[in-house]
Amino acid sequence: MSATTTNPEQKTIMDRLEPYLAFIGPMVMILAILIFMGIAEPARYFRLTNLNLILLDAALYMPMAMAMTFVITQRGIDLSIGSIAALSAILMAFLVKQYGFPAWVAVPLAIVLGALMGLINGLVITRFKVPDLIGTLAMDLVYRGLALVIAKGLVLARFPDLITEIGRGQIPGFIPVPVVLGLITMAIGYVVLTRTYFGRYTIAIGSNPEASEMTGVAVDRHKIYAYVLMGAAAAMAGVMLTGKLNAIQATSAPYFNLHVIAAVVVGGTSLFGGRASMIGSLAGVLLLSMMINALVTLRIEFFWQSVASGVVIVSSVALYTWMQKKDRDGAHGLMAALRSKEAQKLIRFSAALIGALILLLALGAGLATEPAPSG
Amino acid sequence: MSDQPLVQMQGITKRFGGVTALQDVDLTAYAGEVLAIVGDNGAGKSTLIKILTGVYQPTEGHILMDGKPLEMASHSDAIANGIDAVYQTLALADHLSPAANMFLGNELTKNVFGIPFLDNKRMKTEAARVLEERLGVRLRSMDVMTESLSGGQRQAVAISRAVYHEDLRLLVMDEPTAALGPQETARTLKLIKALREQGLAVILISHSLDDVFEVADRVHVQRRGRAVGVVKTADSSVQDVLGLIVGAQDAAA
Repeated sequence: MSATTTNPEQKTIMDRLEPYLAFIGPMVMILAILIFMGIAEPARYFRLTNLNLILLDAALYMPMAMAMTFVITQRGIDLSIGSIAALSAILMAFLVKQYGFPAWVAVPLAIVLGALMGLINGLVITRFKVPDLIGTLAMDLVYRGLALVIAKGLVLARFPDLITEIGRGQIPGFIPVPVVLGLITMAIGYVVLTRTYFGRYTIAIGSNPEASEMTGVAVDRHKIYAYVLMGAAAAMAGVMLTGKLNAIQATSAPYFNLHVIAAVVVGGTSLFGGRASMIGSLAGVLLLSMMINALVTLRIEFFWQSVASGVVIVSSVALYTWMQKKDRDGAHGLMAALRSKEAQKLIRFSAALIGALILLLALGAGLATEPAPSG
Repeated sequence: MSDQPLVQMQGITKRFGGVTALQDVDLTAYAGEVLAIVGDNGAGKSTLIKILTGVYQPTEGHILMDGKPLEMASHSDAIANGIDAVYQTLALADHLSPAANMFLGNELTKNVFGIPFLDNKRMKTEAARVLEERLGVRLRSMDVMTESLSGGQRQAVAISRAVYHEDLRLLVMDEPTAALGPQETARTLKLIKALREQGLAVILISHSLDDVFEVADRVHVQRRGRAVGVVKTADSSVQDVLGLIVGAQDAAA
């Protein structure tokens, strides 16, 4: 019987690049930031202390980005990581400060507590069938609330050397300790993703949950594993944050969830499941830290950071979705899409909305009186 | 084609509550033969093969393999006895490589310091070997996502998952050509013929009588939960089978 080889069609450039896209995307953006900052503010941005600062900031997010890569690849999401970080760090702080636990016990204890909170998340999602978005959002409130109940607005400060070493230690002549820890977790994550049952089934579950179930993959159990890993990683970040600041309070780590999700998504891991890129997640973390640092270096107001993060998330998800759609049905150009009937209706609707806004602004300006100072 | 039937289903009846899906159905499958099951929607084709693959248990009747009774409590029992199925949806994870899909749920591992790690290299060579030797398919690259393969190649990957078990003896294929174009259909039928050459018993469910007459040796016709006839493709026509399906030739059965 003869071998039926398929006709070797010529690969386009996109086909060739496709596997590396997840890596190239953030790399291009990192390069863009480097070039921009090289022109705008080279002296302060490229100082060694500043690069150290960028890495130190990125290190905090690396373990969480690693775990979030698994969660998102399984079509899941975890919005509770900031609260898990805060609650496990608070619990660790109390054990150390109040009950005199040695640091080398309290640190792994915090991570196990985080894993336990992740387990609760996983059970809520798989056993109670609460959709992950709502489930983890609600658990976020629970964990944050518990942290507030326990800490009662206290700031716990001054921790043993081990904890500060984890958070901001510096290996002389080399990179900071947390960066080493972060890179190790990313490396472990890469091996787990490509070489273990858990990693393989994570991709399978995200790619086709029904097929995974049919081929005998324990879908729910592996989902729970991912949330447990996420919880442990969040707790680790909580410990690192405590060490970095040498202080912790219940309201710490407010925007961990979106920052980490942004980093992972920018790195090319698909929110629609199945596509994972651990190297991309690392690049995404570095990209976000560099971007935020650049904003600070340029003396742009702190509050713009959240605007920038949001724009980065939306644009990267939109970009990846567009690229994936294109290689399936060869969509027409942008102008063709704009000319369609449906688009015309939307354009008219948007125009009406903007028109109303302009009208109201004009009306307000026309009838404006002398402003009275508030308060 | 041997004389001794590989699998015999005798007097199979299946009721779901008050609904009788199958009524006293007999079915025989021989090694090295393609048996097609045809029939209208709701004729009981799916229920019949689900019983054969251990997904359902019959209300009445029994299954013999090599003349010995076969009890199956689940699909994995069927696989253990050399019976497997390829579903219409193929059950592939599009973002995994063909090799990863072939071994999904059954990965090859090697131990490093006592911890099992996936042996991706061995899975890749094994997958390439099975595809080439058993199905005569050589993929351009084993590293691409399964998503990028053609319909026929995806079919081959799904089949290779079943035939990797060396003791596979009966393969059930549920509408393998339903979603394929003419060229891909031809490739898939070629795969089925290749499996028959290797002495496998193949049971093919199809709505396309053209495909059935192309590959099948015998056709088992279901109508309203009953087996209304088994004909040899060699000495009957599409018209005959069509007549059985719609019930115009009930008397002939």
